[in-house]
Amino acid sequence: MSIRRVVSFLLPVCVMLTVSAQVTAEQKEKVAKPSEFPCLSYTAPCGKIGVRPVVKKMPQDLSLGDPERGKQIAFKRKKGNCLACHRMNGGSQSGTRGPDLSRYGSSGRTAAEIYAMVYDNRWQFPDTVMPPFGTNEVLTDREIRDVAAFLRASR
Amino acid sequence: MKPKAMFVALAGIFAASAWAVETEDRYPRTPIVPEQGVWGDQGFSNTIQYWGSKEALNKNASLQDDPDNVWKLNHKHKDGDRVDMHPGHIGVEEGREMVDSWSSKKPEFLKCLSEGKGSLQGLAANYPKYDEKLDRIMTVEARIEHCSQTHLPKQIKQGSPANTTSALYVKSLSAGKPIQVDLSSAPVEQAYQRGEKLFYKRIGQLNFACASCHTPGSVMGHKLRGEVPTTPFGDVAHYPTYRTPVGELEPLHLRFVRCHKQMRAKPLPPGDPAYTDLEVFLSVLSNDYPISVPSLR
Repeated sequence: MSIRRVVSFLLPVCVMLTVSAQVTAEQKEKVAKPSEFPCLSYTAPCGKIGVRPVVKKMPQDLSLGDPERGKQIAFKRKKGNCLACHRMNGGSQSGTRGPDLSRYGSSGRTAAEIYAMVYDNRWQFPDTVMPPFGTNEVLTDREIRDVAAFLRASR
Repeated sequence: MKPKAMFVALAGIFAASAWAVETEDRYPRTPIVPEQGVWGDQGFSNTIQYWGSKEALNKNASLQDDPDNVWKLNHKHKDGDRVDMHPGHIGVEEGREMVDSWSSKKPEFLKCLSEGKGSLQGLAANYPKYDEKLDRIMTVEARIEHCSQTHLPKQIKQGSPANTTSALYVKSLSAGKPIQVDLSSAPVEQAYQRGEKLFYKRIGQLNFACASCHTPGSVMGHKLRGEVPTTPFGDVAHYPTYRTPVGELEPLHLRFVRCHKQMRAKPLPPGDPAYTDLEVFLSVLSNDYPISVPSLR
């Protein structure tokens, strides 16, 4: 029984832990933290933050994403969670507050318009309860393109 | 950076911040007349006709089996369980033992808790209230925290299980008594005004306000996945409550914490002045409605 053995066991473990810690740190950097957004506090810095200004982003040269991936994102609670308020193609237990989107591909909306509405719908409806998914970094540009592709394909 | 570029950047920041302030305050409001207490719901969700009294609840009992309309009962049909044994009742017993043992060791504690009266009977119905000596608004939970800090060896912090359990006991001694928060007290009235503003403030990554789900024209009355958000009127009367989804007693401020986490906003510590103002606002919306603890939600 030697120190060498212990070291030979511990060293890879330590290396693995360091690497995984770095990976999680990188991932965390990308994710917006709740404290970056307004809160109710009278004293904490987030209490002084205003809501992010409206962004109307309607890229006309939009390359559509993958509808299947878009469906996953739209249904996932931690991602779009669109089902919380909207009926959608293939979804179950959907909410009823928002418009039914299950045939949204036949609505005549262009992909760019759909993208803009998911990104930040306040440009159309300033008082909307729909979260500004792009402006507030809930979804990435690619994820929103995927969701737009899914909606375009919903018929 | 060139001066011109800097000017443009500064002007941009100024414009953005001015705009942001404007959006915060422009949330559509349904006027609430605080003097009407719980009856203000008549111009709000207008569901009080279904849950405002025992007779109304009995008359509309069939709504319990109607998934699209059960929200109109404002969960009040669950208060029928008050007479049966559930973990909330065990909480009341535990709270009684706690408060009795602290009071027998330190009679000053009970004196402090009962504001010199010696009895806790019916006191909770007038909370939150302004305490002149301390110059702040006190909730039942804050009173327990304060009196324990002053008279017991250990502070019973708000949000701790002991604080929640003893608050449940104190409130149970006012069960059935209509809530009467004193709006004629200027500090309480000011707290109400601040609380109302907080209710409409957009917060968190999802950009929601309390109002986004609990006002007419919002999600209220519509399905949010499997849930249907209800009116904020009459709601605080059953707190602290035994929450079946999480299997524990939950005071109002920890309910706020749970909401704010779901809204992806920074939650505040129980007893925070903002949470206290929100509690004042919601309590005024329960004025005239009887305290309903222990309860299940």
